[in-house]
Amino acid sequence: MWKFVLRRSVTSLFVLFGVSVLTFLMVFFTPGDPAETILRQQMGGRTPPDAAIEQFRIEQGLNDPILVQYGDWVANILQGDLGQSYHNDASVVQLIFENLWPTFELALAGLFVALVIAVPTGVISAVHKGGRLDYGSQLAALLGLSMPNFWLGYLLMLVFAIQLGVLPTSGYGTADQLVLPAITLGTGMAAIVTRLLRSSMLEVLDEEYIRTARSKGLRERIVVYKHALRNALIPVITIVGLQFGYLLNGAVIIEMVFQRPGLGRLLIDSIFARDYPIVQGLVLVIAVFFVVTNFLVDVTYRYVDPRISFEGASK
Amino acid sequence: MTRNTQLNDRRTVLKTLGGAGIVSLAGCLGGGSDDDNGNGNGNGDPDDQDRSEQLPSATIALNDDPTRDDWNLYGGVTPYWTNILEPLVWVSTDMELEPWLATDWEQVEDTVWEFSLREGVTFHNGEEMTADDVVFSFEGILEEWAWAPGWIHVESGDIVALDDYTVEFTTTDPFPTFPGTIAHNMVAIQHPDRDHESGTVIGTGPFQVDEIEKQQEVRTTAFEDYWNDEPVLEELTFRVIEDPNTRTLALENREIDLALAPPRTRVSSIEDDDSLYLERQNRPGAGYVGINLYKSPTDDADLRRALNHAVSQETIVETILEGVGEPARGPISPVIYWSAHDDIDGYEKDDDRASDLVSDSSYDGQELSILVANDMVDGREMAQVVQGAIDGIGVNSEIQALERAAYSEAVRNGEAHLILKESGSNSGDADYIIYEGFHSEGDVNQRLYGEDGTGLHNLGGEVDELIEQGFQTGDEEEKASAYKEAQQHIADQAVTIPLYYSEYIAAAHANIDGAELGAIPQFSRWTNLEHWE
Repeated sequence: MWKFVLRRSVTSLFVLFGVSVLTFLMVFFTPGDPAETILRQQMGGRTPPDAAIEQFRIEQGLNDPILVQYGDWVANILQGDLGQSYHNDASVVQLIFENLWPTFELALAGLFVALVIAVPTGVISAVHKGGRLDYGSQLAALLGLSMPNFWLGYLLMLVFAIQLGVLPTSGYGTADQLVLPAITLGTGMAAIVTRLLRSSMLEVLDEEYIRTARSKGLRERIVVYKHALRNALIPVITIVGLQFGYLLNGAVIIEMVFQRPGLGRLLIDSIFARDYPIVQGLVLVIAVFFVVTNFLVDVTYRYVDPRISFEGASK
Repeated sequence: MTRNTQLNDRRTVLKTLGGAGIVSLAGCLGGGSDDDNGNGNGNGDPDDQDRSEQLPSATIALNDDPTRDDWNLYGGVTPYWTNILEPLVWVSTDMELEPWLATDWEQVEDTVWEFSLREGVTFHNGEEMTADDVVFSFEGILEEWAWAPGWIHVESGDIVALDDYTVEFTTTDPFPTFPGTIAHNMVAIQHPDRDHESGTVIGTGPFQVDEIEKQQEVRTTAFEDYWNDEPVLEELTFRVIEDPNTRTLALENREIDLALAPPRTRVSSIEDDDSLYLERQNRPGAGYVGINLYKSPTDDADLRRALNHAVSQETIVETILEGVGEPARGPISPVIYWSAHDDIDGYEKDDDRASDLVSDSSYDGQELSILVANDMVDGREMAQVVQGAIDGIGVNSEIQALERAAYSEAVRNGEAHLILKESGSNSGDADYIIYEGFHSEGDVNQRLYGEDGTGLHNLGGEVDELIEQGFQTGDEEEKASAYKEAQQHIADQAVTIPLYYSEYIAAAHANIDGAELGAIPQFSRWTNLEHWE
């Protein structure tokens, strides 16, 4: 197992190196001079004086050759320093840290909503294959996948805040302010998981040992939930693990619509503001997150299904 | 006081009329936002009978985050919008400069300005504002923002306290628009003890910070020792809701009492809702298409005039802007006193005339590029209307929507023929609108002018001279005359296709009164804000 961990760690490092280079280059080649853009924003849209632009470029090292800029950046990262925001000298590490929990909290809540919807629906759909319940759940899953997040967000606000008056439209800090964003975020994922769990369950329910279990006279409930579901969950775990990363993605829109702080907002705001240190730092952190999640998913496999060996997985 | 009297009178009249039926009928007849009480609250009449008691607090939703780190200089809160911090000079709804923390100012030499401070102004910490605080505040701005010296034409060390109530500013060059330039919320006066780490904001405004919740809200309380009219409300909360649709939904859900800048698409539904009303205010801004004078084929004046005759401003205002704004005849809003709106004969919509002009021009079927920034509200739709209009007179075009920074870059490189723009002023000095837009050394023109003597929307020569003349004179009449002549040349040569004059809107509950939106929205006042049961 340690061999596996070591191998995965080394490949992960390569992945992260690639991400760092790509991020740096993408930002570098994006049109629009960050110095001018940032100063213009600070001045409320007016043209910054040339001297101020030049001073900004010098202070931020923007006149250095790209290799020097990249080298400095990596050297700082190795010391745990992701740099400072161009706008106000706020530390990138601190900004990310401040915005991490709201996003994580939202992603977790979204995941919870997704699983609460998806697991029973997926199982029922598989067990009643071809029946009304199956078609119903498949239709619901299709709807869930097709609805844009922001649209669903407004719709939920209209129903739960305006019509029923039971929840606030937006904001951050209290539990009731988390409900609508979590449902909005969780719905899309629920749809994916439902469909996956359905097909996975169908496959498992067809296997020999299920037939054996049934022939032994076990109750159908035990067969489905104890024997079949456990094995059907393996591919689901993979998707859930990867989707958790994508939840961060969905969080961008949710955070905008529901006025929540978080990494998604931070990233979008920074991209528009050409605040490159934040963009680069954040993309790197998200990449680390994805790599770690993948890694954890692989390890979790081993425990859920002993047939999967680490040796096999690493080949 | 006037407002209170007005309200009381209104209530008395309504009571005399008696009966909810009559009141509702009056409300129905009143119809739209053109109100009967002079303060924008046109649909709120049925509620008037219940207005027996005032509530002590209200919540305003801002479309911009006032707690961004950008405002660390001020203790962590924006000097915009919130009436917590104040500048030396205020701007009225007619774009006139008003004495505020300074009672008077005088240009004693070409580059020397003396400002007399208001005596007896108290900071939120109880200390009196003196000239030293003004020097401290300006020095802080110069230190915080590298561009500030170039902006206000003052360098660090050139601000001196002559005595407790007199401050002398020496500008780097003769700068007649200095008082107007510092009539800007960003140039606020604060006490040196402010501290962004602890969220301690110390200004002189009618509201003082109670608590800052980052990215969420700023809670304030009325400042009892305020030098000017004391606020009616005891507490005022500024909530951040950047998404315009969410902001309006929060208003409908009564989580907030007043929402700034609701989306234009919601205007009619707000006007139809009896429990809401819309407050409107003209701004010193305009939307227009800037035409590239140095790129073929738009270097041909006949073609530019043809394009002007093809576009209907009324259609754009009525359809895309949902009536928020006025059809424009020039690129300078009439809110600014030297606007030539009334003197310019606009290019009326006339497709036949336009087609004739196209035939007269050197246009040979080339595709014009229309550039628009993708964050311009309704920009793409407006570009499509322009495209459709000029297509109708046989001119081909393609729309290019770019993200803001890429757009700015493309504009300054002169990559497009037609550029959708929105101009505006955030300070009492609006001179820079004409300078930056149409002087060869201004904003978009300067790069190409510096590199190869061309530019974008600059006619150069006489127009440059007129703009400089207007910019340098301190005399309002001379300024208006010079700028008007410059605008006449700009119109004659069809440098722009004017589209609309900007209007700012806010939506509020019928039981909210007294919002005073500024011509520069950030200069809005909340001291007369009343919240009725």
